[in-house]
Amino acid sequence: MRITLIPALLLALIFFLIPVFIMFYQGLFDPEFTTQHFDRFWNRGAYLRIFINSVKISAITGLLCVLIGYPTAYFIVRRPPSVRPILLFLVLVPMWMSVLVRTYAWMVLLGREGLINMALVYVGILDEPIKMMYTSGAVYVAMVQILLPVAVITCYGTMADIDQSLLSAARVMGAKPFAAFRRVFLPLSLEGAVTGFLIVFVLSMGFFIVPALVGGPKDTMVANIIAVQVAKANWGFAASVALILLVFTLIAMTLIRVVSKRLIYSAREETS
Amino acid sequence: MKSLRNSPGSVLMTLFFILTILFLFFPIMVILPMSFSAGETLQFPPKSWGLRWYREYFNDDLWRASTFRSLRIALMASILSTAAGTLAAVGLDRTRKSLVPVFTGLFLAPAIIPNVIIALGVFIMAVWTGLTSSEPLLVMVHAMLGLPFVLLIVGAALRQQDPSLENAARVFGAGPVQAFVTATLPPLTPAIISSLIFAFFISFDELIFALFVMGGKVTLPVRIWSDLQHFINPTIASVSTIFIIATTLAMTTAEILRRRSANRNA
Amino acid sequence: MNTLKSMKLGLAGLAIGLTAAIPANAEKLTLSSSGGQVAQLMQGVFTGPFTKETGIEVEYLATTDRASAIKAMVLAGNTIWDVTELNAIEYATASLSGWLEPLDWAVIDPNNMLPDSAKLGDAGIAATYSNILAIRTDKGAAPGSWAEFWDVENFPGPRSLQNQPFDNLEFALQADGVAKEDLYTVLSTPEGVDRAFAKLDEIKPHVVAWWTTGAQPIQMLADGEVHYTSAFNGRLTKMAAEGQPVQIVWNGGAVKPSYVAVPKGAPNRATADKFLTFMLTSPERAAGFASYAPYPFFTKGLYDLLPTEKGIILPTHPDNLAQQFVSNDLYWGANYNELNERWQDWVLE
Repeated sequence: MRITLIPALLLALIFFLIPVFIMFYQGLFDPEFTTQHFDRFWNRGAYLRIFINSVKISAITGLLCVLIGYPTAYFIVRRPPSVRPILLFLVLVPMWMSVLVRTYAWMVLLGREGLINMALVYVGILDEPIKMMYTSGAVYVAMVQILLPVAVITCYGTMADIDQSLLSAARVMGAKPFAAFRRVFLPLSLEGAVTGFLIVFVLSMGFFIVPALVGGPKDTMVANIIAVQVAKANWGFAASVALILLVFTLIAMTLIRVVSKRLIYSAREETS
Repeated sequence: MKSLRNSPGSVLMTLFFILTILFLFFPIMVILPMSFSAGETLQFPPKSWGLRWYREYFNDDLWRASTFRSLRIALMASILSTAAGTLAAVGLDRTRKSLVPVFTGLFLAPAIIPNVIIALGVFIMAVWTGLTSSEPLLVMVHAMLGLPFVLLIVGAALRQQDPSLENAARVFGAGPVQAFVTATLPPLTPAIISSLIFAFFISFDELIFALFVMGGKVTLPVRIWSDLQHFINPTIASVSTIFIIATTLAMTTAEILRRRSANRNA
Repeated sequence: MNTLKSMKLGLAGLAIGLTAAIPANAEKLTLSSSGGQVAQLMQGVFTGPFTKETGIEVEYLATTDRASAIKAMVLAGNTIWDVTELNAIEYATASLSGWLEPLDWAVIDPNNMLPDSAKLGDAGIAATYSNILAIRTDKGAAPGSWAEFWDVENFPGPRSLQNQPFDNLEFALQADGVAKEDLYTVLSTPEGVDRAFAKLDEIKPHVVAWWTTGAQPIQMLADGEVHYTSAFNGRLTKMAAEGQPVQIVWNGGAVKPSYVAVPKGAPNRATADKFLTFMLTSPERAAGFASYAPYPFFTKGLYDLLPTEKGIILPTHPDNLAQQFVSNDLYWGANYNELNERWQDWVLE
């Protein structure tokens, strides 16, 4: 084992592994090992439905963030190095505003008498205000606004050290701009896009306050189930749902990695 | 470069970028005016204007203390997290293949398990050890929370890096540390900075651990959350606005200074 | 448990290096309560004067998920709170699990300043608020009861309710003609619960949002997103005073107690009792608290000390109390899991 792993291992051991072990131990042994909580999860339709719905919301949020974030990061990377920090700064400014505060801002913006409805009616696009708040659409708008900077930074992190001269070389060799992008830049930066998706996906799975504030009743998230059970001090069920979430997410992440590695590999093959 | 910048595609890209920034700034555009409201509730547009909620913020020791506490904790946690995470990412890159999934799973799990579960476990430990309301404890917990993201970001940058660089440095007689610092680290700089920013905001906006571990010393998110439970008043809008104005000023000053020195050198 | 014990020893050893020297133990008190503005008010009215009068330092903690936190402390065998505020669910959970110390009211309230209904075996009722019907007064007809809230023909308009089974089942039963004295008798039978859900089926298509935090319905009313909603009373009086077209309907509202209790194994038991006496039995201090926050105590004599215009807006003012029912938290503690699962299913249908 590499010595450089030790600081991170210590942090993970003391502040993650031991506390989570305590919670799982407390939750799943009552006093004998019990599967009653898992049974409850599978047998009550509501829980499974909420879980599947969380996966759907998180995956769509992740996709939207990467679809918007990747070109944004690409745009920044193509500017001269002196301009880049300013553009990155612009992307990061909203993060200084607490997520809770931003969520309230969306409530004001998307309301029936909110700014957007008023503006659309005033301009004449709408005849009368429509329902925007308390819909899944509002959830995506709010979550993408919160998580988009994350996707941009992640994509930027891998793009910035792709040698710009490679692109220029491709251009000199006669490649059209888009071809140069597709054959040289895209394969090299795809890793960042996949990572960005994974981070946004994982973070979204942990959200519950934002969907609860701006979404409809069908936008309940799995983290919400856990929060409700913790409020009731029902650690068994909370820990069981967390375990299901952990196993599912790790498997999903591995699958996405394997598939994306294939794609990136074949894209690189194609260029050489 | 020139031809590329003037191409229609590049005009579209610029437009796309501007739209993206506008979207990101949308909530700020309502929070900013609401912070200058003289009324009791968050109203848009405010019916009466004033600096009432700014005075409220600046006259309140607890608001200011929680602000500085959050900044301090986020700064320390992000440095700790990025240092430990970068070292771990490099280490993982060279660990035996069979062990990699185990470590990766371990380092990523904190991002997946909902915070409240980990926080309760940490709280039990804090109670055992008498370390409640301890700032260093929260710094380390937040550093742990940042790890998965540092690892993902730096790891992604490492995977596309050419390992032959460091090997070459080693061949030319550099020691392992020297090879790491001179050959491996420099190309990772953008990813490391990204991680630092990321870890900073993870800590800066973190609520649940702070609530469990830091009951006696309130952080900014805890303060905002507490106020949302009972009365929502425009102070929270003022705090956000102060941050945005302060960072914009700092960024502008830095940029002006940089331009000046660049001109002088030219 | 052995694994945990040895883990605990190891951690304690590890912590010695991190812990600063602890000062010699003077008498002190650790209070767990709400944060934010409520914390400032609590400190101004209660803990500050308490320290001044008794010389006992109070460490004030802003806390959350207190049932889980108490469970954690009981489990760790090291309770660090002496007195804690508890909301309805937290109290019911902690009480039914036996995580609270019994209280001797002869010691805490020798002069009988609290009504018996506010003195429970293991907790006292402190601040109260109400979950009431709140309406916009500028959107046509104004409903004055839950029956009229349910009457969408005569009172059209978007509505909102809390995304929780509690209070809503009681509201539905009242809309269906059950007297408020009989609510929990009806709810303790399966048919009664079915009846409440059946009544909720009627209103469901007209509920545009199921709110989750207290600030949300207030914001929705202010934004015109809904015309009628259930809401906590606290903020509404201030909005109305500011000239916003909102109004409280006390009729059929749920009085929601919040509790103060001593968690099992509290380190400074006698001091805790002293603080409970200080906090709960003085009408002057209760009036001081209630004149800043619309969360009155049950302390006798409170309303004699408040000017009428300040008293009449509070949920426990005799005029308002008579129109409402008091939420039965032990019923909910015992039935919450089952009813919440049913509620979640029902809301998603």
